[in-house]
Amino acid sequence: MSSITFLCSKSNGSNNHSDVQKGKPTSAFASASASVAVVAAAASGLLTIAVPPQQQSKVKAAAAVAKTNGHIDDRSDVTEPLYVDLGNGTVGGGDLNCCPASPTTVPTKTALESPMRRAGRRQRTTSIGNQTTTANPSECIIRANNRTIYTAGRPPWYNCAGQQVEPFVIGICGGSASGKTTVAEKIIESLDVPWVTLLSMDCFYKILNEKQHEQALINEYNFDHPDAFDIELLVDVLTKLKEGRKVEVPVYNFVTHGRETQTKTMYGANVIIFEGILTFHSPEVLKLLDMKIFVDTDPDIRLARRLKRDISQRGRELRGVLKQYLNMVKPSYANYIAPTMAHADIIVPRGGENKVAIHLIVQHVHTQLQLRGFKLRETLANSYKDQPMPHSLHLLDPTPQIKGLHTFIRCRNTSRDEFIFYSKRLIRLVIEYALSLFPFKLTTVETPQGVLYEGKRMSSRKICGVSILRAGETMEQAVCDVCKDIRIGKILIQTNLKTGEPELYYLRLPKDIKDYKVILMDATVATGAAAMMAIRVLLDHDVPEDNIILASLLMAEIGVHSIAYAFPKVKIVTSALDPEINSKFYVIPGIGNFGDRYFGTEPSDDY
Amino acid sequence: MCTGSPSSNGSQPEEANATTEQQPQPEQEATEQPLRTPTHAIVGAAKAEEILAEYGSNLKLLECNSQVSELLTIIRDKNTTRSDFKFYADRLIRLVIEESLNQLPYTDCDVETPTGAIYEGLKYRSGNCGVSIIRSGEAMEQGLRDCCRSIRIGKILVESDANTHEARVVYARFPDDIGSRQVLLMYPIMSTGNTVLQAVNVLREHGVPEKCIILSNLFCTPVAARTVVNAFPQLKILTSELHPVAPNHFGQKYFDGI
Repeated sequence: MSSITFLCSKSNGSNNHSDVQKGKPTSAFASASASVAVVAAAASGLLTIAVPPQQQSKVKAAAAVAKTNGHIDDRSDVTEPLYVDLGNGTVGGGDLNCCPASPTTVPTKTALESPMRRAGRRQRTTSIGNQTTTANPSECIIRANNRTIYTAGRPPWYNCAGQQVEPFVIGICGGSASGKTTVAEKIIESLDVPWVTLLSMDCFYKILNEKQHEQALINEYNFDHPDAFDIELLVDVLTKLKEGRKVEVPVYNFVTHGRETQTKTMYGANVIIFEGILTFHSPEVLKLLDMKIFVDTDPDIRLARRLKRDISQRGRELRGVLKQYLNMVKPSYANYIAPTMAHADIIVPRGGENKVAIHLIVQHVHTQLQLRGFKLRETLANSYKDQPMPHSLHLLDPTPQIKGLHTFIRCRNTSRDEFIFYSKRLIRLVIEYALSLFPFKLTTVETPQGVLYEGKRMSSRKICGVSILRAGETMEQAVCDVCKDIRIGKILIQTNLKTGEPELYYLRLPKDIKDYKVILMDATVATGAAAMMAIRVLLDHDVPEDNIILASLLMAEIGVHSIAYAFPKVKIVTSALDPEINSKFYVIPGIGNFGDRYFGTEPSDDY
Repeated sequence: MCTGSPSSNGSQPEEANATTEQQPQPEQEATEQPLRTPTHAIVGAAKAEEILAEYGSNLKLLECNSQVSELLTIIRDKNTTRSDFKFYADRLIRLVIEESLNQLPYTDCDVETPTGAIYEGLKYRSGNCGVSIIRSGEAMEQGLRDCCRSIRIGKILVESDANTHEARVVYARFPDDIGSRQVLLMYPIMSTGNTVLQAVNVLREHGVPEKCIILSNLFCTPVAARTVVNAFPQLKILTSELHPVAPNHFGQKYFDGI
């Protein structure tokens, strides 16, 4: 019953031009289905593989989706129910394991919501940033639906040297109402990758002028023609996403046929899915795609869906819809869309209900992600043994006072009252020291005593503190105490207990942070994975590397090495350096979980 | 208040030859050099080795990094607003106090961390107390309180005779057992050192050994440093700057805002 068509431009993937890892896809598919019968001839390059119907893909509900296309809302009827039965009847059971590393009070209920409820959820693309008040919406950073917040954050999008790893870009093409979005959603769910960015081509419609606008109103403007899209902008956005940078994606308004003044902020992710009717049209876009999927749905079904959507959801006349379909949509499909099927790596018949096809696609993506090395923490913990300390490390003088303070805060029997008091004292010293590492210039001032005094002033007063939540937040007060009117940014990074990887949940930074000297604060640094992620975030916001100081109370040698290797210009300030970390990534002898001890949220048995 | 006036402090020849910069800062941009050459500029503090040779090991200077230099600059600048002055003075005081506490005696102390490992730390002995010299010394009390929450603080009032400029103690109140404590004597500005001499004398009369007194000071002139070191060789002194001109306006600006 189930069958997938692999279309290769020549024979057997040899000309898989866009794929970085040649040859890999074929092996991934072969291993995916045990009993595969090759039916068609290879000479034409068209392989049809029939798979027994019982070989259903088990789909795990997970995957946070970063979505931008706001108007996708009114197409929900195109989408089949989102969630596939897990076999044992529970939905989204796996999500609970991905809750943040530290005990939190966030409701985990969301993960258990019914499929329909969640299908409804996707109509809103909210982010934490949106929920809080903000002067500038473009600074609401992480675009995600609600699941992201509670189940998983953004995992590392760079390798252990801190360099960007190119994300895997999947292009999905297909005729209007063929179920591209459904396929994309299903891939995202099955991927079980915590951070996926979904970009729709609909965002890139050109702004219509007066005349075109009128045409559009009487269904005479051709939205299905390649010229209707701003390909230049599209290539620019997609290229930036592929570099892991922040982009502003336009929001297209289908009523005014213009762009909203607000844009959606998107980040690159490990996996980027780009879907649209003319995804494969531009050769430049084709070059950016690592995997090309064509969704081939029967024209009758597509027309039926389109009629239903346009009439019931967009309140349009049957006649007008049909006119548009016959005059524009259908010819465009024949002229521009269907021919691009030749570029596809995989053709998925019947769209989103084709579970086997989606399973195979997911297998391939997993293989690719593993090859790209997104496993970070373990790599970090096992490198750099017995190396001399890097020059970027600035260790506070181990005076008796600092050792005494450490004795207090490290002792497991210290009461919270004392712990807070003594850690605050220590933090103050660390921050004062960190400030001295910023550039200063010589200056001469007049004194009331009538003599001139040669002294120094900081070259730039533009200093910004950025704390890595939660433990880093404890250092904010000290920064405010030493710098008047300092700006504070926040980054929330939590460790995923299941994978041990840091994940980015939330970030809020001053708008023009690139002009600021940044003191990045985290109470303890073990492997340095969270700190590296935070530094990476700052770099992605165009903060120059040598403007960053990482201040911390305690660091493990490994963490210092990793950070210094990845970001040699970042100055690292700490009051103590410990030699080891244990299997749970705690520093030894260490402080324990600083945040838990400071805020009083220790679990009953942690270590 | 401080005795003596800036004009009475002739700058010492060896200070005059000292370098203008304490330590070359790698971050410093060469292009940022001041445009005007200060004509009356009195050269800044001497280097650490010179101080050791000149005054012995009991006079210590706060490590003069750029950050500390900036604090000193702001405090000395006559255009600094009062609120800025107090803010930056408090920061400097905190640093000086933290550094002074380093001079206190301690013992080794191993503790078990929450991870079950042993940390080889240290523990300060109890039985310390602070003594501030009224009134500018009181500016440093809060800094001490911020570091040691329940420390006992004694006070000394030293007044100088209007005609003879001779300092004399008119009031002193200490904890009863001060003789068995380590004393942190707080006085921010030393021009001649006479006030401090009198204060230390009072402490000694109350049975505090000279070596148990640590003087926390912000600005010290070479004259005062020599006077105090000569008089009490075992007294530990901690200051942030050795400079021929003391910012005598400190107390007034800090408390009166003038």
